[in-house]
Amino acid sequence: MRRRSSQLSIALVALILGVLLVVQLRSQNPGGGLEGLSAQELTDVVGNLNTRNEQLRTERAQLQAEVQQLAEAEARGENSVGQLQSDLLRIQAWSGLLAVSGPGVRLTVTGPIPGLAVEDLLNELRNAGAEAVSVGGIRVVAGTVVAGSGGAVSVEGTPLGGTFEIAAIGNPPSLTGSLTRAGGMMAQLRATLPEVELVVTPVDRLALPATTRTLTPAHGAPRL
Amino acid sequence: MTSIGARFRTIPTWQLTLGIALLALGFLIAAQLQSEGPRVTYTSQERAPLVATAQGLQAQQDALKAEIVSLRSQIATIEQQGKGSADQVRQLNDQLAAARVAAGLIALHGPGLVLQLQDSTNPVPPGDNATDYVVSAKDVRTAVELLWLAGAEAIAVNGERVTASTAILDIGGSLLVNSAYQSQPYQVSAIGPADLYPRLTAEPAFQQFLRDRGERFGIRIAFAQPPDVVVPAYAGTINLRNARAVPSGSPTTP
Repeated sequence: MRRRSSQLSIALVALILGVLLVVQLRSQNPGGGLEGLSAQELTDVVGNLNTRNEQLRTERAQLQAEVQQLAEAEARGENSVGQLQSDLLRIQAWSGLLAVSGPGVRLTVTGPIPGLAVEDLLNELRNAGAEAVSVGGIRVVAGTVVAGSGGAVSVEGTPLGGTFEIAAIGNPPSLTGSLTRAGGMMAQLRATLPEVELVVTPVDRLALPATTRTLTPAHGAPRL
Repeated sequence: MTSIGARFRTIPTWQLTLGIALLALGFLIAAQLQSEGPRVTYTSQERAPLVATAQGLQAQQDALKAEIVSLRSQIATIEQQGKGSADQVRQLNDQLAAARVAAGLIALHGPGLVLQLQDSTNPVPPGDNATDYVVSAKDVRTAVELLWLAGAEAIAVNGERVTASTAILDIGGSLLVNSAYQSQPYQVSAIGPADLYPRLTAEPAFQQFLRDRGERFGIRIAFAQPPDVVVPAYAGTINLRNARAVPSGSPTTP
């Protein structure tokens, strides 16, 4: 009798243990955090991943073509100067080391906007595919921060004043659409900062200067 | 087999088994309770295939990024060996190597610090907004901006290099960095001067960030100063579909 009850309790404990183990394993990171998202959010993640992977495939195809061209040129004993130059221009333009021109949008900001809100706008522009951005005529690169409280914002140590322009090169309809959509960054800022005026204008050709910053690291070293 | 000796052996065995099982049970219950956390768990039917799709796409993305980094390094290697008028090629190669480092296409290591942000574990009082207790894209952007202002020269968020084109966005309670899905803990790794940490903490804006997010809502903000901080290379696209380079020296009339 005692033996049977002990077997029963072990069986019961084993059962609970099994159930808990399964629940635990399932709740432990199967989706890398994706488990906590709603269906709508997951749809957004999937959409975003699809777009992103498509861009990455294009980039990969370009790089593969470049490797092939380089290898062929090398096999023919040809000089690779042309390829090197176009590569250099592309990387320098993208990082902000070179001036760039192209279509995009001009966003005129008037009023006491805080630096963090300007950064929100820049983040929105980057998300919408902006390829190069300047604020108050200063090129925004990795490390450029628009900082300060409303009415006293500055960038790279230069005060922006009461009215300044954000210029972004990219597809004008995408950039405009992203900024002006319902619930978008402009709508949010208008709600929270009613005294700030934001006007967005599509532009056929913008010219953005190169950065004056030195992007060469002084403390970090390339990790080969 | 019901001798006293046999009974002495059998009872301890099941007691021991039961004891171990109960111990394991305790651990599991504790682990389970902990992993429940403040996050909402959804249980709708349509989610499972979506999670699987997202995981599949994320795996593809990781593979694509690894390929891109490897192709870029192949190109750099071939270019270094390039023939041609030696001086011009050598000069161009040096410029390219420097431009790649400047653009964030090369991983860096050096002194610096890692800031870690995690959701609050505080109970959300009635009337409060639960999203205030979760690390937002804005929090991570603020941390990045404050680190730049303190003198950081290279930053990555959970291994995603922050470049001129990096956007950090909210998605549910988690983030997209360079369009890659990231969940907490968020580790913002920064390379900079040896005194990056004192510089950061001396900034009034950082102190305010600690008060507004740490003290007020219990967002867990921690830091580490490993001897060598690594900031990986940017593995995404170099998008220049609309922008044209204007080589230095050319006129830049609008």
